[in-house]
Amino acid sequence: MTKTISILALGAVLTATGAAAQDKLTISVYSFAQDAYKQALYDPFEEICGCELVIETGNSVERMAKIEANAANPVIDMAVISSHDALSLAQKGVLQPLDTSRLKSFDKLYPAAQDPIGDSMAVGYTFYASSIVYREDLVSIESWNDLLGEKLAGNVSLPNITGTQGPLTLMMLNKAEGGTPDDFSNTIAEIGKHADDIVTFYSRSSELAQLMNQEEVIAAPVGRFAWSRFKSSPLPFAWADPKEGQAGGMNVMIMTANNGNEDLAYKLMDYWLSTEVQTRIAEALIDSPANMEVKVSDEIAENLTYGAELINSLNILDPAVIIANRDAWVEQWNNEVIR
Amino acid sequence: MFLSRAEGFALALPAALFTFLVFLVPVGILLSAAFQSETGAWSLQAYLDFFSQPLNQSVFFRTLKLGVLVAGTSAVIGYAAAFCIVNLPATSRGRIFGLVVLPLMISPVARTYAWIVILGRTGIVNDVIVGLGLSELPIRLLFTETAVFIGLLQLFLPLMIISLVSAMENIPRDVVPAARVLGASWFQVFFRVILPLTKEGLVIGGTLVFTGALTAYITPAILGGSKVLMLETLLYQKVNVSNDFASASVIAMILIVMCFSANLVLKRIATARR
Amino acid sequence: MSRITVWLILGATLTFLIGPFLIVILAGASAGESLSFPPQGLSLKWYAKVFTVESFRASFALSMFLAVFGTLAALLIGVPAAYALNRYKLPGAETIRTIVAAPIIVPGIIVGLALLRYFVVPLDVTITLALFVTHTALVLPYAVRVVSSSLNNLRADMEEAAVILGCTRFQAFSKVVFPNIRGGILAAFILGFVTSFNEVPASLFLSGPGVRTLPIDMLSYMEITFDPSVAALSALMAFMSIAIVFAAERLLGFSRYV
Repeated sequence: MTKTISILALGAVLTATGAAAQDKLTISVYSFAQDAYKQALYDPFEEICGCELVIETGNSVERMAKIEANAANPVIDMAVISSHDALSLAQKGVLQPLDTSRLKSFDKLYPAAQDPIGDSMAVGYTFYASSIVYREDLVSIESWNDLLGEKLAGNVSLPNITGTQGPLTLMMLNKAEGGTPDDFSNTIAEIGKHADDIVTFYSRSSELAQLMNQEEVIAAPVGRFAWSRFKSSPLPFAWADPKEGQAGGMNVMIMTANNGNEDLAYKLMDYWLSTEVQTRIAEALIDSPANMEVKVSDEIAENLTYGAELINSLNILDPAVIIANRDAWVEQWNNEVIR
Repeated sequence: MFLSRAEGFALALPAALFTFLVFLVPVGILLSAAFQSETGAWSLQAYLDFFSQPLNQSVFFRTLKLGVLVAGTSAVIGYAAAFCIVNLPATSRGRIFGLVVLPLMISPVARTYAWIVILGRTGIVNDVIVGLGLSELPIRLLFTETAVFIGLLQLFLPLMIISLVSAMENIPRDVVPAARVLGASWFQVFFRVILPLTKEGLVIGGTLVFTGALTAYITPAILGGSKVLMLETLLYQKVNVSNDFASASVIAMILIVMCFSANLVLKRIATARR
Repeated sequence: MSRITVWLILGATLTFLIGPFLIVILAGASAGESLSFPPQGLSLKWYAKVFTVESFRASFALSMFLAVFGTLAALLIGVPAAYALNRYKLPGAETIRTIVAAPIIVPGIIVGLALLRYFVVPLDVTITLALFVTHTALVLPYAVRVVSSSLNNLRADMEEAAVILGCTRFQAFSKVVFPNIRGGILAAFILGFVTSFNEVPASLFLSGPGVRTLPIDMLSYMEITFDPSVAALSALMAFMSIAIVFAAERLLGFSRYV
């Protein structure tokens, strides 16, 4: 009896997973603000396309590794990741070039977002500033150098080197010290000397938000997309405007090669880039728009990375520089910082 | 017996074949991959590469150290607790023993999760420390080896207590009082009477705790984070961040060798002075 | 030792072992927005929220499926194996025992990685099937061991008598042996269920978009938000495991078999 039941049930589950495969789009996204994204993007899209969205979350580098590992038989159809992880995947031949004529809002994007890594392998969907979030009741931040200063010792977290924010923090610390641009070896050595003062190296902005809300950490560099998590906290968090300026970056959309689900994937990209959705996402204070037509109130704009003037003022790290140096940075980091 | 061998094999083989094919074969391939160079030739190069990295060395020694510390501490607490349990009256013995087993039924995710609340800067431990004036400011406990040690100890202590209780139940009831009457101190009673008679329980408990501590993933991941890496969390990173399957195979082999040698060494110690 | 010392030692040990779990239960009942203890006011809203999170429902269903049918499958091949190892003098019985026991010894994270790389990828197997196979293999050693020990308590001449009295071998098993080891089989089922339901390391690598077991889903939910619902879910899961074990203990005297 139990035997028959178990075989039947097993069969049912296996066929169920097979049968549902037709109208399903599998996407891979960052893990922050999923509730807000569900309201602003996923649910309305599912209604329009009559399909099911399957969503994988994680930080950029972990999801990049998975896409690469499954390249022969893609699990993910479309992903949003950092521009340098996108470039790395493109160089490994895992992506397909985008047919931008299928994206109705393409011409409305900021020029920098239209072909950020070349060969139309990606389009930018959001810009973000990156600076230091801190507890204004306990400290004040004037410079990126304050991160390694006496005041914050034992109360500061830095992004892990493997993540997207890691290299940006290195770039700004290097600038603050007056080092040679793009040569971060002295900066990493300096962080190594202060390793004991750093609570942990976080790998997801959601993790950092938790640490700061638990008062485990009182200052850390983070991308502006995570700001809403801090703004809504009862604790007094502030966004630093260091004298070296803010760092910045762009997240992009990519399409895996030979995924066989291109039509749905283009539909989602098109919808995501539309003025309607980009406005909705901006108003929920999640991601800042890459679509120039998006108009938001001053109050909303203040919480985002909004407008050409601000975007142009950011310190940008060339994705090609990151890819060329990342292995060396990670090795030095492992040996001198984590040990 | 009037049963045919063929029939016996027919009954036993499905289980053996199943485990062999879907379990031992994949694990075997993974482990053998650690002995092959990129060209496919047999080589120990992957191990040399692995141990030439200072980070990997320190992760290896940290894992070993925490495994030994957790096993040793749980043996000390385990003996005290087991001795108390064995000497309880029968009714309360069953209940207390049930409470010791209880945590094993609870998901390790839940059990580790609790420590975030307890050890955090605004957690109970720090409230007590600051309240008693032991330290002016809350101290940092999360993301330290201490946090990982506490988490692992709590996870695996029940296994040690259970092993020691069942070993002690086999000691004749009058042996300890007899030794005391004859003038032995508690110290002597422990090392001359209890320890020799419970060696096997200690070996079983020690192996379970040590290998458990070596192979737990959640505790170092949640309580140690990126600064207090152990072999398990390092393996996860090698696979999920850097797609470095060669290193992952090496770590897998090291973990298995550590587990087996712990078992052998402890067995050797247990039988040495018989 | 005095009574006071005894209860001090036991009290401290049990506080260390069980206290954190009580804290999780209370932290889940917080009225505040973030995880903390003591809770900021009491409320059951996080316990209620657990049931509204879609991914928890899906992963709970998967975990239940694995725990029930993975364990049943393990019993299906494990009971005959235990019977054969117990009643037949098989050459190589030790080897068979060692093979079947292997999944206990190999660290789970290695199992997950090995199956992902050398089972899922080359054979193009679905993650669900791989999880099913893994959980069956992990539970099998317990099934064989527990059923073996209850077979040990059953004298072999009872079946021989049944056969002499005209039963076929299969009838002798189903009418004589099975009713007598039913308790052992149930005990094995419960042990297997709890093991499989709480399993983490082997399932860590065996997850795909939308397919993951409940404990793995909790881990990834914690990466997104740290609200008290994970504490509430932890408490609920623990209650479920404990309730099952207690019911079994009451009905069967479960601990005799383990």
